[in-house]
Amino acid sequence: MKKITIDPITRLEGHGKITIFLKDDGSVANVYFQVPELRGFEKFSEGRPAEDMPQITQRICGVCPEAHHMASTKALDALFHVEPTSTARKLRELLYSAFFVTDHTTHFYILAAPDFIMGPDAPPAERNILGVIAKVGLELGGAVIKTRHDNHWVIQTIGGRPIHPCFGLPGGVSKAINEEERAKIEEIAKSSVEFGKLSLKVFDDVVLKNKEYLDMVLSDTFTHRTYSMGLVDENNKVNFYDGKVRVVDPDGKEFVKYAPRDYVEHLAEHVEPWTYLKFPYLKKVGWKGFVDGKDSGVYRATPLSRLNAADGMTTPLAQEEYEKMYSTLGGKPAHYTLATHWARLVELLYAAERMVELVQDPEITSTDIRNIPTATPDEGVGIVEAPRGTLTHHYITDERGIIKKCNLIVGTTNNYAAFYMSVKKAAEDLIKPGKEITEGLLNRIEMAWRPYDLCLACATHSLPGQMPLEVTIYDAQGNELKKLSQGI
Amino acid sequence: MKTLVLGTGNPIVSDDGVGIRVAHEVGKKLNDPQITISETSAAGLSLLDSIVGCDRVIIIDAIQTKEGHAGQIYRMKPEDFSFAKHLSSPHQINLVTALELGKMLDLAMPQKITIFAVEAEDITTFSEKCTPTVEQAIPEVVQMVLQELDG
Repeated sequence: MKKITIDPITRLEGHGKITIFLKDDGSVANVYFQVPELRGFEKFSEGRPAEDMPQITQRICGVCPEAHHMASTKALDALFHVEPTSTARKLRELLYSAFFVTDHTTHFYILAAPDFIMGPDAPPAERNILGVIAKVGLELGGAVIKTRHDNHWVIQTIGGRPIHPCFGLPGGVSKAINEEERAKIEEIAKSSVEFGKLSLKVFDDVVLKNKEYLDMVLSDTFTHRTYSMGLVDENNKVNFYDGKVRVVDPDGKEFVKYAPRDYVEHLAEHVEPWTYLKFPYLKKVGWKGFVDGKDSGVYRATPLSRLNAADGMTTPLAQEEYEKMYSTLGGKPAHYTLATHWARLVELLYAAERMVELVQDPEITSTDIRNIPTATPDEGVGIVEAPRGTLTHHYITDERGIIKKCNLIVGTTNNYAAFYMSVKKAAEDLIKPGKEITEGLLNRIEMAWRPYDLCLACATHSLPGQMPLEVTIYDAQGNELKKLSQGI
Repeated sequence: MKTLVLGTGNPIVSDDGVGIRVAHEVGKKLNDPQITISETSAAGLSLLDSIVGCDRVIIIDAIQTKEGHAGQIYRMKPEDFSFAKHLSSPHQINLVTALELGKMLDLAMPQKITIFAVEAEDITTFSEKCTPTVEQAIPEVVQMVLQELDG
């Protein structure tokens, strides 16, 4: 095999790169998934007031700003040693639940649905939301747009601005809601529950009742038995906004449950010379390479991982779907990467039901929305579940609250080892000697990373939500055989 | 005629904030109730939310092309972009796809969309300022937008 040296100092063109090297016989020799690093975020934050961080960090990405805003706000609570008021907590979680509804809706209908509704062999130009709507009908398409639009209105109403709220403060939030707003939010929450139920029905009709797709979901090619991570409440039930981080082993047994401030004791980072992004792993298990299993510190933090790490959902309809999902998948925990799309829909339903609960709480229109901090700031960690994984914000300041150091671990970063392994395995299983490398085959390799909904923008603390990606296949002599790229 | 002037981009990544800077400057020179000046750092499908219901939209954004030089200004229409509609991320519902989706769903789409794009030098360094060459282009883009609004 021709030896190709990848110089890690060579500047990648700002996009992710998957490179597949083949052996002489046409089977896969090795696969690399390289992510560019954009330096400077920590430097950029130094010297700024910590209270600016919810505004600054939400600009890292155009897709999940609310997640950064919320993690940052919670880091400020910890930094200033202040608890939010009960109403502020509920308003935060209400906004956050609306955000989850919009984000999960967007992901499912733009990414997952095309794979299954159009099929992995459909040409790229048809495998998108336009193709989906053409096939399932304008009514569903309209419902997707309306659900997003209405929940963006909820975020704007509670948070002060759509998508990039100006809302979180240490000890509380910046505005309350009145009864008129509350009533409209309740209407939207109830419609969102119906939409969640409809989306699960779509998944059932299109994927679960289709033997070919169900086989793909359950296949070994798209399976890795890793540790699972997610935030849980005091009853070990899924909560996106608050709680402790729980990690279960590949058999489902609790491995650790830690409070946000203790994250450094449990997570370490492994470095590879061929990529800038580091690979987090469980410190107490250790780094054993890009392998799964109980002895490997590789873990996942995805919608499926959250459901694996918890003992259930707190809302009734989502709990029913949670049980149905695990029953179909043959038990808990489930390690089928493609089932992440299913877990995402269970979470969508939970988020909508949670919105109904919170908006009907008598405290939700109270104006007691802030506890003013009095302690001297020093250090704080805030953790929430971003739609694509556990999100950690860690700030160290001087006694005036000016940032000296900040560290972010974002959803996608948690999953770097896992999605690399998923892509590698799919490539190794699907590219065989003598088998033609078709568009459809490369699509199936893409299906291995799509469930993770990669936000390399966040992972590299960088680009405004672009994820250009290039896949190149080289033969044993180093000649380029095939190239697939998007967004470049 | 309901008009939207929309500056898009990321205001903390150097030249990627140029669209938002131009929109701010345009806003300082206008006082017309029919014209809304707005900014967005949102990606993809959210662009649709911004433009539905407007008769005319002017979008200002940063761009990087193969042969362009920093500070160069382009005036374009949506048809000038030959994007693949292939998606691997929600981030990739680009403007063209968002517009098609809007038409497909019979939403109130604008009759006229003009895009002013400024060739960016640096969209990878965290900074709230544009690079000098791009900074110098801002007044010219502002004039072009104002002329477009007059015409």
